[in-house]
Amino acid sequence: MIHISETVNPTGKKSVNVAPSDVSQIGIVVKYDFLKYLRSRRLVGMLAIVTLVLLLITALPPLLGNSYADDANEFINTYASFASILIIIGATLFAGDAIVSEFQNRTGYLLFPKPVRRWVILAGKFLASMGAMFLVLLLYYGVALLLGLAITGSFSVLGVESLLLAMLYATAALSVGFLISSVMKGTTGAQILTFALFLFIFTIITGVFTLSDVEPWFVVTYSGGTINYITQDPYPTGAASGVGPGGLAPGAVEMTSYYPDIGVAIAVMAAYALVSLVLAYYFFSRREMSA
Amino acid sequence: MDEPVKTVNLTKDFNGFRALDNLDIAVRRNSFLGFLGPNGAGKTTTIKILTNLLSPSSGSAYVNGINVTEDPKGALTDLGTVVETPEFYPYLTPKETLSYLGELQGMNNDDIRRRTAEVLDMVKMSEWGNKRIGKFSKGMKQRIAIAQAILHKPSVVILDEPTSGLDPRGMFEVREILTELKKEDYTILMSSHLLNEVQQVCDDVVLINKGKLLKSGPVDALIASANLRRLEVRTYHEATDVQLRRISQLNAVSDLEPIGPRDFALSVVGGDEAQVNLLEELQSIGLRVVTFKESGASLENLYMSLIKDSR
Repeated sequence: MIHISETVNPTGKKSVNVAPSDVSQIGIVVKYDFLKYLRSRRLVGMLAIVTLVLLLITALPPLLGNSYADDANEFINTYASFASILIIIGATLFAGDAIVSEFQNRTGYLLFPKPVRRWVILAGKFLASMGAMFLVLLLYYGVALLLGLAITGSFSVLGVESLLLAMLYATAALSVGFLISSVMKGTTGAQILTFALFLFIFTIITGVFTLSDVEPWFVVTYSGGTINYITQDPYPTGAASGVGPGGLAPGAVEMTSYYPDIGVAIAVMAAYALVSLVLAYYFFSRREMSA
Repeated sequence: MDEPVKTVNLTKDFNGFRALDNLDIAVRRNSFLGFLGPNGAGKTTTIKILTNLLSPSSGSAYVNGINVTEDPKGALTDLGTVVETPEFYPYLTPKETLSYLGELQGMNNDDIRRRTAEVLDMVKMSEWGNKRIGKFSKGMKQRIAIAQAILHKPSVVILDEPTSGLDPRGMFEVREILTELKKEDYTILMSSHLLNEVQQVCDDVVLINKGKLLKSGPVDALIASANLRRLEVRTYHEATDVQLRRISQLNAVSDLEPIGPRDFALSVVGGDEAQVNLLEELQSIGLRVVTFKESGASLENLYMSLIKDSR
């Protein structure tokens, strides 16, 4: 819907202001938020981290006298196992302070009195963060897949599937980051909580449930494990109980390893992305510039 | 729409504290309204509701006849605002900031370029147009804030204490900008603590305290109706305590305040006759009056009187 406000001043001169459509405004917010990532060097920083990770994974094995895997899927597996940590860092940098900074840094006094709906601002910021995150992942996987092709002579289709799962996991992580950003009062707290939640809080929850022989299928980081497992052929399935090679020592705990089902994992990650984003909008739309 | 800015029974509660209490205000088209009140009176709360930064607990706020809460996009389309001292995106330059906000308002690239040059020139920031805002002083940011408020030539402009926190030079510069705005066809609502400034530039004034309307109307009419004059008196000898007490007990006198060994100021209710009577009273109690003159801003007298009465 386009809003037109027309007024006539005493001289008879008409002044017409037309607010663009919501979709157009989303594009504008995306453009300037992406510029933020570029100018604030967050995107450059992320790309530097990606380059470093790629260098270390690729250069260290020959330096230590190890040879590369012969199979393309096996080759990409090492790279895929580091994708999750890149996503966590990306969610922290791109989503952790996306909303809360408008309140804490008082830029909301500039943006919110404009004829832009809150959901449009949220959508624009979210799409900008997705764009930045996907760019990072595409570069990371792109280089890894090309290296795999060059070294093993074959292309890893499972690597592409891992990339798609990584993009879904990244979307879920960004959504959770936006939710945290919508309710927290400070940018630092929001970023720390986003980072901590994915790095060890969800991991602790997963561990506790696993120890209790309950599959933590509902934890998003557990679902994110599919990014790595998908590159294993065949895909590990079911629950595997394991003890050490010397048998179960007195007082030791028997561990059960669970592997997330691909379908369930996709559904869980999609649910986290959707529900978190809806909640983020709920809190953001009701949040007032009261201080 | 003769009153582009209007509030009806506007009420806002913050955790049990009533910041606005059934407030009704209206701004005439193409007028410059001064919105006055002490700290905590509810001025910024009112402005924040009008600009969709806060939601009212009850009542309504309208801009150009559109309910701000029900249709914020419609209401804010033809509105320019400076609320508190906004911060800017430090990674953008003034030109980029104006471009961002202009695009959100629906301006095309040519209009943005043309108006950006005009408004930056108006606020004397042309030479800073391509520098990042991150390191700008508060005064420079305030000028950019005013520039973005009028970029799209809105019919209504709302300014929340635009000279707050500025040094004397910054205040002077912003006051010059306000005088320029007054010459154009804007309907302006401006909150301010600076009563001289309001008296100089505003056509109308609304005075609130504790979230309630105290007085509203044209500045001149309000001052005339207040029938209150502030006088400064210098005596040949220092007035004794007994003499000062007798003066303060006079019916027409309020706010007696010693301002020097032989000087005191007071407010007197009434016109010329009350002033003549006061002079005779001062002489009758043995004071030898050297000077006896009206002083201070008339609006300030009215303001102080109304605020005192409402406490």
